[in-house]
Amino acid sequence: MLDLCLLAVMDQEPAYGYEMTKRLRERGLEFVGEGSIYPLLGRLEREGLVETFRAASNGGPPRKYYRPSTSGRLALALGVTEWRAARDAVDAVLAPVKIEVAT
Amino acid sequence: MNDFVEQCRREWKRLGVRDPVAEEMATELASDLSEAEAEGISAQEFLGRSAFDPPSFAAAWAAERGIIPEHQPSRATARRRPVFLMAFTGVAAIALVIAAALLLTGEPKLTLASSQVRPRLLGPLPPDVGRQVHTTSASTPVEWILLVLAIIALGFAARLWSTRIRARPPSAA
Repeated sequence: MLDLCLLAVMDQEPAYGYEMTKRLRERGLEFVGEGSIYPLLGRLEREGLVETFRAASNGGPPRKYYRPSTSGRLALALGVTEWRAARDAVDAVLAPVKIEVAT
Repeated sequence: MNDFVEQCRREWKRLGVRDPVAEEMATELASDLSEAEAEGISAQEFLGRSAFDPPSFAAAWAAERGIIPEHQPSRATARRRPVFLMAFTGVAAIALVIAAALLLTGEPKLTLASSQVRPRLLGPLPPDVGRQVHTTSASTPVEWILLVLAIIALGFAARLWSTRIRARPPSAA
């Protein structure tokens, strides 16, 4: 699921590794560091789902930027569709549940 | 932070990751860690549990990128292998020469048994009577077996040398 999130944030705008973790944290994904994004980025790169290029960052040294390739955008679209379907199905199951906690 | 990156570099080198790729990954990691540190985020916060195990982190990253050579022997094995291969080739070649030389001489080489028979005849015996020397041709099969084994061993050694030469990285060629 994190690979889908990475594709989503770099699809909005190309980003380097640390920049992606910041964007994810801003959206509430605080657990990113626990697994580290680098192996995931490596796999996306190996599978041809991302393209990379070097460019100067804001006042810093040149960085390696990632953006989805054509295949990556297709994978992102399919992944989002599957995720929404799964989320809706789970919501349908959980919606009637009323939680009452006895004190 | 630098220590973390250096440990990653060592692991990539040990795994056989090509230098330019390892350098690119090290630079990317160092830049991100520097920026995180400048913003008050520690390596532990940024990398999580990976911050405590640089070799595993580096190996996982390289494996996911698919940049680790398939067969990666240890350094000690890589150093020993040419010596063993040279010794093996040398022994096989010597065995081949010895087998060929023995076969070329033609005569049976080994006397397996020798006995003397004292016949119950009176009078002097001719020199070639009363002594039986049992010779066999057992040496010939031994030479042929040695020759065949030496040829097989040399063929095997040639195949190993060929594989080794093909597997040598371009930079070492």
